[in-house]
Amino acid sequence: MTPDARSLAPLVLFTLTSLGAYAAGVGVGGLRRSALRAATWDMLEALGLGVVFLLCNLAVGTVLALGVRGMTHHFVSIYVLSDVTVPILSLVQALVFRCWRERSR
Amino acid sequence: MRGAGLGLRILGFAALLGFVLAAFTPVPNRLNAWMAGSAQLEAADAIIVLGRGGADADGVLTNRSLRRVLHGIELYRRALAPLLVLSGSGDETRARADLARGLGVPTAAIRQVAAAHTTREEGEQISLLLLPHGLRRILLVSDPIDMQRARIVMEHVGFTVLSAPTAATGPSVPEGRLALLRDISTEMAGLGYYRLTGW
Repeated sequence: MTPDARSLAPLVLFTLTSLGAYAAGVGVGGLRRSALRAATWDMLEALGLGVVFLLCNLAVGTVLALGVRGMTHHFVSIYVLSDVTVPILSLVQALVFRCWRERSR
Repeated sequence: MRGAGLGLRILGFAALLGFVLAAFTPVPNRLNAWMAGSAQLEAADAIIVLGRGGADADGVLTNRSLRRVLHGIELYRRALAPLLVLSGSGDETRARADLARGLGVPTAAIRQVAAAHTTREEGEQISLLLLPHGLRRILLVSDPIDMQRARIVMEHVGFTVLSAPTAATGPSVPEGRLALLRDISTEMAGLGYYRLTGW
């Protein structure tokens, strides 16, 4: 198997388990097929909200790092903002915010 | 609120598309090669190995720092310059100098610059070290994505720069490609900041 083919392995897994979840949802869970499109829109909206939170986190982090540099003799690297936890935590913020909005209706 | 929802969906779709392109296609690798430009491996007055990521608490160099210093040592062994200048944090330059000596670079050929936090500070420190001695033509060792900004900084402080990027393409696994795209985004932001502040 070539490296390029190996790199597609996660996508194959994603497809297989998604098809399994679809079959289980319709067959066992009694979920409506017609609601899947709306669910996909909701997912995209949550993802978009995650991007907004990510941009906010990066902007605030940059201002804080440059502020600390400017006002003290302590050096804070901008590279701390490139940590993989930042987008994950931003997505968590988005999901909580979205659920909160839904529960408030 | 309805308009905001549509905007968020478009943003979410763009993010998802970007994720798929970054993880499962060679787009980040192409960007990486584009940012590196062409290597100019010619004779110079000094080889400059810029810092990157420092060293871990146990004194072991980070992956990128190690790649850079190994490339610098290789260029020295090809006799492209008589001096190997190692920059970065204190721990990083010490570990790099130890490695260079261990791989046969004479102590007299090694210079350490250990007081810099940013590329701009590195440029200033290295210029103070080399330019008074008329050493102006440098082989600059950096990652492909850093090369453009590093080159601007070094030319700004007075050097004639020959690029010697560490690699051309980058990783071929999804996780590595995503990390590469993140680093490219960070670097583009840094380049924009340097431009805005007059460098």
